[in-house]
Amino acid sequence: MRPGFVLEVDERTPPLLVHRGDSFGLERFPLGSRVVYPPEALPGLPDVRAAITQALEHPLDSEPLRVLLRPGMRLTIAFDDISLPLPPMRTPDIRQQVIEQVLELAAAAGVDDVELVVANALHRRMTGPEIRRIVGDRVYRSFWPQALTNHDAEDRANLVHLGLTDEGEDVEINKRAGTSDLLVYVNVNLVSMDGGWKSTAIGLASYASLRHHHNTKTMRHSRSFMDHKASALHSSAWRMGRLLQEHVPVFQIETTLNNQAFPTSYAFLTKREWEWSPRDQAMFWTLKNGLDRAPGRLRRKALSDLVADYEVTSVQAGAVEPVHELTIANVHRQQLVEVGGQTDVLVFGLPYLCPYNVNSSVMNPVLAMCLGLGYFFNMYRGQPLVRKGGALILYHPVQNAFDQLHHPSYVDFFEEVLAESTDPAIIEERFEKQYATDPWYTHLYRTSHAYHGVHPFYMWYWGAHALEHLGDVVWVGGDRKAVQRMGFRSASTLGDALSMVSGSVGTSPTITYQHNPPHSIADVR
Amino acid sequence: MRLAERLAGAHVLLTGATGFVGEALLERVLADLPQTRLTLIVRGRPGEPALARVRSLLTKPAFAALRARDGAQAVDALVGTRIQVVEGELGGQVGGLPPDVDVVLHCAGEVSFDPPVDEGFRTNLTGTLALLDAVRATGSRPHVVHVSTAYVAGLRSGWVPEGRHPHTLDWRAETRAAQALGDGADAASRVPTVLADLLAEARRHRGAAGRQEVAVEAERLRLRWVSKHLIEAGRQRALSLGWADCYALTKALTERAVEDGCSEWGVPLSIVRPSIIESALRRPAPGWIEGFKMVEPVLLAYGQGLLPDIKGAPDTPVDIVPVDLVVGALLAAAASPPPIGEPAWFHVGSSARNPLLFRDLHDYVRRYFTTHPLPRRGRGSHAVAAWDFAGEPRLERRLRLAERGHRAADRALEILPPSSAVRGAADRLDRVERRLRGLRRLSDLYGAYTQADLVFGDSGTLALHQALDPEDQAVFGCDASVIDWEHYLLDLHCPAVTALLRWSAALPPAPRPARGEPVADPSRTVVAAFDMDGTLLPSTVVEALLWVRLADAPRGRWPREMVRLAADLPRLLAAERHSRASVVRAVTERYAGADVEALTALVDERVASEVLSRLSPAAVRAVREHRAAGHRTVLITGALDLFTRPLAPLFDEVLATRLDVAADGRATGRLAEPPAVGEARAAWLARRAAEEGWDLPASAAYADGLSDLPMLRAVGLPVVVNPDVALARLARREKWPVVHWASTPSRSRFALAGAGR
Repeated sequence: MRPGFVLEVDERTPPLLVHRGDSFGLERFPLGSRVVYPPEALPGLPDVRAAITQALEHPLDSEPLRVLLRPGMRLTIAFDDISLPLPPMRTPDIRQQVIEQVLELAAAAGVDDVELVVANALHRRMTGPEIRRIVGDRVYRSFWPQALTNHDAEDRANLVHLGLTDEGEDVEINKRAGTSDLLVYVNVNLVSMDGGWKSTAIGLASYASLRHHHNTKTMRHSRSFMDHKASALHSSAWRMGRLLQEHVPVFQIETTLNNQAFPTSYAFLTKREWEWSPRDQAMFWTLKNGLDRAPGRLRRKALSDLVADYEVTSVQAGAVEPVHELTIANVHRQQLVEVGGQTDVLVFGLPYLCPYNVNSSVMNPVLAMCLGLGYFFNMYRGQPLVRKGGALILYHPVQNAFDQLHHPSYVDFFEEVLAESTDPAIIEERFEKQYATDPWYTHLYRTSHAYHGVHPFYMWYWGAHALEHLGDVVWVGGDRKAVQRMGFRSASTLGDALSMVSGSVGTSPTITYQHNPPHSIADVR
Repeated sequence: MRLAERLAGAHVLLTGATGFVGEALLERVLADLPQTRLTLIVRGRPGEPALARVRSLLTKPAFAALRARDGAQAVDALVGTRIQVVEGELGGQVGGLPPDVDVVLHCAGEVSFDPPVDEGFRTNLTGTLALLDAVRATGSRPHVVHVSTAYVAGLRSGWVPEGRHPHTLDWRAETRAAQALGDGADAASRVPTVLADLLAEARRHRGAAGRQEVAVEAERLRLRWVSKHLIEAGRQRALSLGWADCYALTKALTERAVEDGCSEWGVPLSIVRPSIIESALRRPAPGWIEGFKMVEPVLLAYGQGLLPDIKGAPDTPVDIVPVDLVVGALLAAAASPPPIGEPAWFHVGSSARNPLLFRDLHDYVRRYFTTHPLPRRGRGSHAVAAWDFAGEPRLERRLRLAERGHRAADRALEILPPSSAVRGAADRLDRVERRLRGLRRLSDLYGAYTQADLVFGDSGTLALHQALDPEDQAVFGCDASVIDWEHYLLDLHCPAVTALLRWSAALPPAPRPARGEPVADPSRTVVAAFDMDGTLLPSTVVEALLWVRLADAPRGRWPREMVRLAADLPRLLAAERHSRASVVRAVTERYAGADVEALTALVDERVASEVLSRLSPAAVRAVREHRAAGHRTVLITGALDLFTRPLAPLFDEVLATRLDVAADGRATGRLAEPPAVGEARAAWLARRAAEEGWDLPASAAYADGLSDLPMLRAVGLPVVVNPDVALARLARREKWPVVHWASTPSRSRFALAGAGR
């Protein structure tokens, strides 16, 4: 396994792979540009089942799970929803493997009252087949739909208010989880933002609770939200989690995956370009041309059918905070790349998938913004990879298209809210409440498969830090109107984009391309 | 002696004063014959009695010079002093005429070339005789000056002398026959076979909209049929007797009738036959013209590049005469009564002594439009064609080919499913159609005139002119040889004719007049009614059936189910064109024996996602905006209520079709009540409005198909959504707003929710 590294583009550097939404491209970067490559995939655990058993039997700062289980108790198992991991991993999902062992232990201990809850917070309800894919057939058939449910953040009867943190933040979560004798949480820690107290205090919360940290102010002070120690979002979640712990014991099981984010047959997507074999070259050529010629729906289907050959690199269980420390160390082992100094221009290619359009028909502009200026921008530790006032160049088609089933409030957010303002603080003040309490969106969130009415606002706040930090944002290949609506500019080529940003970074800026995914965290020194 | 002296103290009875020649005549009498009194017979209009019409007539541009000369007040004061006004209509009753009329100047008449035959005779012939009778009844013995047309000569060529045309037609018999045709046409239109054809046509266009709409359309078609029938009867009768059109025929017979009448009455008669009267040479102002006369439509069509060629030979004279020459001839004739029983004829035209050949006309006009092209709003200017005078057969062939192509394309469009491409094509096709219709009309109407190789002798008129006092010749002259065609066409006529177009094209593109928002009575509920299929989501009942049958069937049976449906589909689709109600019934039959509770669960679980993912975002926004505005939102659909369940929270009220359920909870395959389609929707809205005090005139309705027409008509603000071609055309005619609510069908309709991974 080779560590990640920073390449400096020279004459011998071939054109490099860049994700462009539903397609890919090869881009020749200017000489001297830096390219951040993630470490190669870590080897997976040889025996995942044994590793799980080991973690449950020897937890951190906790009795073994076996000991915590007793007959007559109320046991709730909560787990991450479909937004993790991306792309979905080849079955069996790691969550299935963990949950099965937890249930075996519970059965052995004579626990009858067991319920499973998807910690989807304000995400859309998952469909039965989607849940079955995560928990596996056996668990699904035994528990769905009575004892295996989606968390409903709008079901007043099934929420419990546990009190306020020292900072006055409401802690209101799923009633079943909040009133159990033991809450077991099963996570997949794909990136360093996940896990810890975020799992329970956010994943099982209501809007009343979430609004304390899902807002512009908090997000502007989360630098980055991928680093829980420097993130106001996580500090809030940690305060809430500590309060939660006073009401219900939490047994946290966290798992980490390696970097094998695509099927092995698509190896070129995770390999360094100069090491592509003729087979990789052919595969790239076939896939790219196929995608470019296929109609949208077919293209989308081809891509969303991809499953990742992730391997599990670690399983740790026990008390939330020590478990999470270890988890983060494992994530960093796979993703951290040391980068010497900031850059004037940061470049990303945005892929076809983000946490909120799994099985959707399309990635809409708001999600594209969130993926670029939220997730990818924040993939740093210490200081942002791009300097204050620098430029961000993103590759994505930014189609003005929405999945009406999953994202009904996004359409209106784009048409009505962004037309008024793109400033997160103004948007939050003027429009958030109206969308958050809209009965139609709430109805769709509760009965259909729609994200909550307020969710597009959160996506926009996710980019608040980047919006404040950056001097320029240009989308290469983005739909001009859609990009303009969001307050950005679009260019047809990297060259055009660079001349467009020359106003803020000059004509010979330093350029860094973070080669992502597979994910890397830039540890900027 | 000056003309003013010759007509001093004369009392002139003038008809047609509001027409082109009459207006010019009135101006000239008022301006230059100060001792002459006038009585005008003017038709009142709704809201504007004859007197008011005359008052406003005197403020028109023709009288501008007079008003400047004598003062506006003095001109206005003429009404009631020099001018008396009698309300009356040609072909109707005329009463209250003065007993001391010295001259009757009869300018009024039917001006359309192709009036329905009975109307043409009534106005031109019967009306003229009735006028003379009315004058005779007062005891006057005036000199009758009758305005006819040079084209009473009929379809012939060569020299036409001034004088009585040698025909032996019995005008009384022709008039009776025309009247009988008029009475018979209405009866003929009520014959069962005709009514059946009309009804079939109405059904083809409006069938989906329900029987009331069909009936209204059928009656509209019948009236159109009667009118077309009579127009054609007039045209054919004229052609069969040797005249170009009904207008020329009735004018010719009127001449004969007037001759007979006047000789029997014992009064002098002068018949003035102008050719094609166009804008003024000098009076009332150079280039003065009012309304579009005969040549202008051709001119403008040419200037707009719409006239690729014209029937007619390049060396045919086009007999155009400026209006002031006609006025001069009329007044000169009026002052020189012929002996009783010996009518005088005067041709007022240019072909005899100053002919304008077709090729010269074309050259002048082309020069004019090349140097002064007509502006196209926002698109520069129009290009003009160079006519090659290809001759009639070729032109006719080209036109007929184009018309046939248009009809074929139109039929194709009517059966294509609605899409923005089809609607765009329909718009383009409609433009082509308007152009073709215009060409056809021009070709039919003017064909006879542009090909008529006629020269109208005008020695009588020339003699009138020469008999005038030399000073009068400048004012009342009627010698066509003075016209300099180049100057007339390039500097006077063409600029005058195109002035209006240029003026309107120079205006900034007018914003579409906002529909007057009806003012809602705050105490009453305003409703927003929405159709579902095709409006809120792009699908039909037929498709809905497919979803549920598929969702219900085990996967292995899908192919079989689809084959069965595919076999039924043509029948269902055909039925849908005919009547939505029968489709809903056909669909419902397929649910016979289904467990309704299970079906409902199935819809909630699987079909709901399909419905929601197909919803048009703009449609949902419209519904929500209405609700936010305090309106009551209503969903009206012929679809089964099962399918409306996912949308129910958006609406305050849902009217949908319910399945009839037997005691065992299974569907009987019948409906619980008739489906809410077509007229039933309007009726339901009316009933609910009466019960709940809804304010329908201030309410809105959104729908996509002809079948929703009754619902759209039931409210004050109909909005047409993604219309098919037929409805789009109707919406344009009715000036209803049309919106396009797109939905991005996010997934294949066969990938049912739940069937995915």
